[in-house]
Amino acid sequence: MKNLVLVFMLFTAVLSAQENYTVSGIVKEAKNGETAFGASVFLKGTSIGSISNEYGFFSITAPKGTYTLIVSYIGFENIRQEITLDQNQKVNFEMEEKSTQLEEVVILAEESERVSLKKPEMSVSKLNIKTVKQMPVVFGEVDVIKSLQMLPGVTKNGEGSSGFHVRGGAVDQNLVLLDEAIIYNTSHMLGFFSVFNADAIKDIKLYKGGIPARFGGRTSSVLDVRQKDGNSKHFALTGGIGLISSRLAVEGPVFKDKGSFLVAGRSSYVNVFLAAADDDDRVGFYDLNLKTNYKLNDKNKLYLSGYFGRDSFKFGKSFASSYGNASGNLRWNHIFNDRLFSNLSLIYSKYDYDLEITLNEFDWISSINNYNVKYDLKYYASDKFKLDFGVSGIYYDFDPGQVRPTSETSPINPLSLDRKKAFESGLYVNAEHKVTDKLTVQYGLRYSAFSRLGGQAMTDYANNQPVVYNSLLGIYERGTAIGETDYGKSETIKNFGNLEPRASLAYQLNESSSVKAGYSRSAQYIHLLSNTTSVTPLDVWTTSGKFIKPQLSDQYAIGYFRNFNDKKYSLEVEGYYKTTDNRIDYIDGSDLIGTNNIETEILNGEARAYGLELLFRKNEGRFTGWVSYTLSKAEQRTLGGNAGGPGINNGDWYNSAFDRTHDFSITGAYELNDKWTFSSNMVFQTGRPVTYPNGQYQYEGQSIASFAARNSDRLPAYHRLDISATYKPNRKPNNRWKGEWVFGIYNAYGRKNAASISFTQNQDLGINEATRTSIFGMMPAITYNFKF
Amino acid sequence: MNTYFKLIVLFLTMTLVSCEDVIDVDVQEGPTRLVIEASLDWEKGTTGNNQIIKLSESTPYFDTTTNTHVTNASVKVTNDDNGQEFIFTHQGNGEYVVTDFEPIINQSYTLEVIHEGETYSANETLTSVVDIDDIYQSTEDGFDDEELEVNIIFTDPEAEENYYLFKFQRQGDLLPILEDGDDEFSNGKEIPWWFEKEEDEDTDEIEAFRPGDIVDISFFGISEAYSNYIGILIEQSEGTGLFSTTPVPLRGNCINTTTPDNYAFGYFRLTQVVKTSYTFQ
Repeated sequence: MKNLVLVFMLFTAVLSAQENYTVSGIVKEAKNGETAFGASVFLKGTSIGSISNEYGFFSITAPKGTYTLIVSYIGFENIRQEITLDQNQKVNFEMEEKSTQLEEVVILAEESERVSLKKPEMSVSKLNIKTVKQMPVVFGEVDVIKSLQMLPGVTKNGEGSSGFHVRGGAVDQNLVLLDEAIIYNTSHMLGFFSVFNADAIKDIKLYKGGIPARFGGRTSSVLDVRQKDGNSKHFALTGGIGLISSRLAVEGPVFKDKGSFLVAGRSSYVNVFLAAADDDDRVGFYDLNLKTNYKLNDKNKLYLSGYFGRDSFKFGKSFASSYGNASGNLRWNHIFNDRLFSNLSLIYSKYDYDLEITLNEFDWISSINNYNVKYDLKYYASDKFKLDFGVSGIYYDFDPGQVRPTSETSPINPLSLDRKKAFESGLYVNAEHKVTDKLTVQYGLRYSAFSRLGGQAMTDYANNQPVVYNSLLGIYERGTAIGETDYGKSETIKNFGNLEPRASLAYQLNESSSVKAGYSRSAQYIHLLSNTTSVTPLDVWTTSGKFIKPQLSDQYAIGYFRNFNDKKYSLEVEGYYKTTDNRIDYIDGSDLIGTNNIETEILNGEARAYGLELLFRKNEGRFTGWVSYTLSKAEQRTLGGNAGGPGINNGDWYNSAFDRTHDFSITGAYELNDKWTFSSNMVFQTGRPVTYPNGQYQYEGQSIASFAARNSDRLPAYHRLDISATYKPNRKPNNRWKGEWVFGIYNAYGRKNAASISFTQNQDLGINEATRTSIFGMMPAITYNFKF
Repeated sequence: MNTYFKLIVLFLTMTLVSCEDVIDVDVQEGPTRLVIEASLDWEKGTTGNNQIIKLSESTPYFDTTTNTHVTNASVKVTNDDNGQEFIFTHQGNGEYVVTDFEPIINQSYTLEVIHEGETYSANETLTSVVDIDDIYQSTEDGFDDEELEVNIIFTDPEAEENYYLFKFQRQGDLLPILEDGDDEFSNGKEIPWWFEKEEDEDTDEIEAFRPGDIVDISFFGISEAYSNYIGILIEQSEGTGLFSTTPVPLRGNCINTTTPDNYAFGYFRLTQVVKTSYTFQ
């Protein structure tokens, strides 16, 4: 593979050295100076073109000659410009929005959301924030994560749970990046709200497979969220007032037009009501997004971005907790020349929680800190060949928990769990190569390495078995500790290295359809420990090391893509098959809290998932929207392995908690007139796999349930309808203040979707009962949004 | 410690939950198994000579038949060191009794049950328990500041790992409440253990403690293995909500030496227990 890349590089370098010239530059929006990601820049009458990158940069190389250059970015007027290529040159473009009247309602889906037939990129869902903002949501708060769930292959573990699942993967297998910083918890208030403030976000890209070689560290998906740069033309104010929370964003030019800034804040105010009601309980969240950039000169630009979000709650005098992400990121864009673009990032990110149990006089803190350096380069070798390459290094410092008594009479002893330190590095190269006019291939290789660093002692177990099968009782038990091995600060406890090949191709069948295929391998070195049905903010991350192996995943995908009626409609069909090695699962009765030796609670297993995804979109007209359907299966198997015995669930395959056989959704928006827009979501999903009782017996005067095989039952099917209407009052064209009212109903027909079903014995009657917990009934909401 | 996390999660769920209702659910039907409730509990200050072992059979989950007593088994407990045998005799209702049991702290015993040609066996060691230092009532501890709770104070021995089981039953209530604990985070400390009943505002089924209520309290010292078992049993019988651990088929220590797959439910436990009761003022 390496040799091949080299050959291509040489080959193209030679070809492009002669008679070819390059035009490069930045594409921006004229109104606010935001760089445009995904604008298409091409030479009319040729197949030579380029899509602008995250920083708006493009580069096209073509033989000497005179061309018409066209820049298109849907929702904006096309730019046409005559260009004579007789030398390398720089041109920047500013895109004007298409219609002043419909300035805020973009009825057209963004170009980048549409099917791109030629790019080998597949299994990618891109949502522009404008699309997200059109969708009806709970509590009137725009929610990125919930919008993604309307796309095929993306599900959620039910209401009241954090995170999301991609193609049968777990929550911790998603790499979530906000301006390149790793975000560990994507939800506020247990999934009520996403941590992404829509007013601060420019766009969202979700890679469900075919993850480019520049990303690594997670096996299931990459969610790449980019913050706005801030308006570089004039000051602007955006905000919204809702029932639960409100938000405000300020942006504008700074440094004498050499830069811009954005500050966005959001806060819930349930607490105000609670305080007013003289209630001791508190529950709330807030977050803050910051971004600024400074253009040193045409070739150098600096970006500084930050995020700080926090949830907190307090239950009377019993306990209180708070948790959240914080991240900061300094980036330096440097354009070496018209073909070589680079970006250096220094990133810090942190997730922590604090739990104070006033009741028993102690508190508990836990955190993850990571420091990340990345250097990414993109080389536009020729119109046929583009090369991405770079390096990255992440230093992790995990503090799984510290317990401190908060009074002298506390019954709790102080305790510090061992800090875990690790270093993860990656090196990658990825080529996009147009082999013929019809065939484009993308191939790359990532090498990742992970070192679990020393500076602590590790427990040794009899027969090197942290978990042992007790064949007499038929259960897994904790192994016997026989001593400790001390690892010095300069030593590593365990090292891993993995080659991760990634490849995909697109073959254009005709003007309107293409087929694509892809393969990718990815490794994951850190794991979220959660033996509960739903992930909670208090779950702890751990690293690969002496006993926990890195997860390794292989994914194969194939797809058919087609545009109809002059791109008014599009169809995407994809099939995938994915296997994951070393997926951990928990022994019966595992205790993950306050234990140093996680290895005594888990077994290494495997997972597999496969499915078929359909996405049909209508991209233009008064009515836009899409229908998505996924047919899939996600399973796990955990054999006894080193611990002996048959394994979890007798060593049989069992449904993963995120297996959904059918997942169907419709999203639509209808623009009635200048004042009214209506939109709606409909979702239908097979119920979540769960474990129900299969019998009962009398013990200690109670009826005790005996449970069936793991995840062999299912909750009732989940379905829901949401509707919303947006009203824009009459405005004078010159009035800068623009307001709109959003009225919405979540779960319009009040379906009691089961978040869980619990089996208990009625305390009064003594009979067994199944109790359904449903989180949201019908939820109306009203929000006022404004811009100035 | 787990309890605290559960409480928080419970609180979070409560904040979110808008609706709970009882519904009809179809469940699978597993094999019928023998249930062995062999709890040889030696109450402090007594001889511990009188012991009962209960045998019954499991039923489908929503079945309401209660008469599944096993009346035709033979039951025997042996002291592993001196070989002394205690033969339990059937007294009706599936209860097998002895009147000459000799409990010895840290002594291991073997249970043998023969039922329908299959032999079940289990092995366990008798675990001691410390005394209760103090019992009092309060309102400011516990979850709810306004409701009464009973506090039990005991001192954890520092030398070893200890595992505890509490059984609370208010006189007049249908069902007892079990709670388990250990000294993982409190080794050698004076431990206050509170027990409170919370008002169920929706159904009025559960009522908080009132002055005059009498609550019976049993405080058991249990083995680590039994603690693992009863911990899962308690957690699973509290219900399987959104944030609870995935329920598992729970296996006790009674193995079937004739047909291993046909293991029995229940447990052969040997404990020392302090029994008392408290009348709320």
